[in-house]
Amino acid sequence: MTLVTDLLLLTELTRVMQTEKNVLIVDDSRISRMMIKAYVLSLYPSWTIVEASTGEEAIEKAPALQAPLIMMDVNMPGMGGLAAAEKLRKLCPDAHISLLTANVQDATRSKAQLMGVGFMEKPITEARIHQLISAWAQ
Amino acid sequence: MIELSAIENDALIEIFNIGVGRAAAAMSSIVKEEVIMSVPAISFESRTQAALMLSENESQRICGIRQHYAGAFNTEAILMFPEDKSLEIVRLMVGDAVSLEELGEMEQEAMSEIGNIILNSCMGILANIFERELQGSLPSYHVGTSAQILAEGERIFPMDATVLMLHINFHIVKYQINGYVAFLLDVAALENLQSHLGRYTGRFAGTP
Repeated sequence: MTLVTDLLLLTELTRVMQTEKNVLIVDDSRISRMMIKAYVLSLYPSWTIVEASTGEEAIEKAPALQAPLIMMDVNMPGMGGLAAAEKLRKLCPDAHISLLTANVQDATRSKAQLMGVGFMEKPITEARIHQLISAWAQ
Repeated sequence: MIELSAIENDALIEIFNIGVGRAAAAMSSIVKEEVIMSVPAISFESRTQAALMLSENESQRICGIRQHYAGAFNTEAILMFPEDKSLEIVRLMVGDAVSLEELGEMEQEAMSEIGNIILNSCMGILANIFERELQGSLPSYHVGTSAQILAEGERIFPMDATVLMLHINFHIVKYQINGYVAFLLDVAALENLQSHLGRYTGRFAGTP
């Protein structure tokens, strides 16, 4: 019975994940945005990727976009990723926001946890992007 | 001149070893190959002498990515590669997903991001060990000789200041690429670092 339930849940999860979705990638590094986009689309080709190079741009784009998943760098010009994530947390309460950053300090992880946002460290790899998406899907 | 005690010197090398180990793992993950790092070397140098130590010869052109860190202590962290290897490193990072033309256009930006990841890997671990926060600047990218790179742009310390330099060589075995990571601290920064080292070694005092 448990196995059947698990399989049904897995099937439903797979169906949901395969439907079209908007994903917002926020990173000042163009190469990082390109890599994240390539890895996400290799896993979910039907998803739409929207990019922002600053926290300010993300805040401007996010409300209309209603992206269920937002990946956010921390060390960026302007307001920076932590302040942007805090604002987005209020603007898009249903979105899963995850930091994707080279800043591996415990202090940054704690701030992310306090804000209720995820944390994934760089360098960007396909396995990490998969892990980040799986954390959201669950 | 501040002098480090034997235990402080040992702790400093060990802590940077841990940080550099993390940086090596990050580098290895970027280039998808084995990266070998040397044990950190510590010495007191002028910036000019420091520059001479950071390249194979005085005229070698290198690209450097520099970040400043402030907080628990102030330091300049610099990642350096031979200039003629930077495109190869970027290619290793992105694979074949990007055309060579596009790659050339974004070489500088990509190298800055690589510097950002590697330097933060190391400094993040240091901050965690000292249980303090370090605020990093955005990375700045420079090309020239090591002396030019150390002299360019915004600097925390003047050229004639004596600095504590920790430098580490790394080697990407498969591609025969050598690089350097260097951390420069002035006397005030060293005093702060020394107090953090004292707290760190104090945690283990009395442990059998």
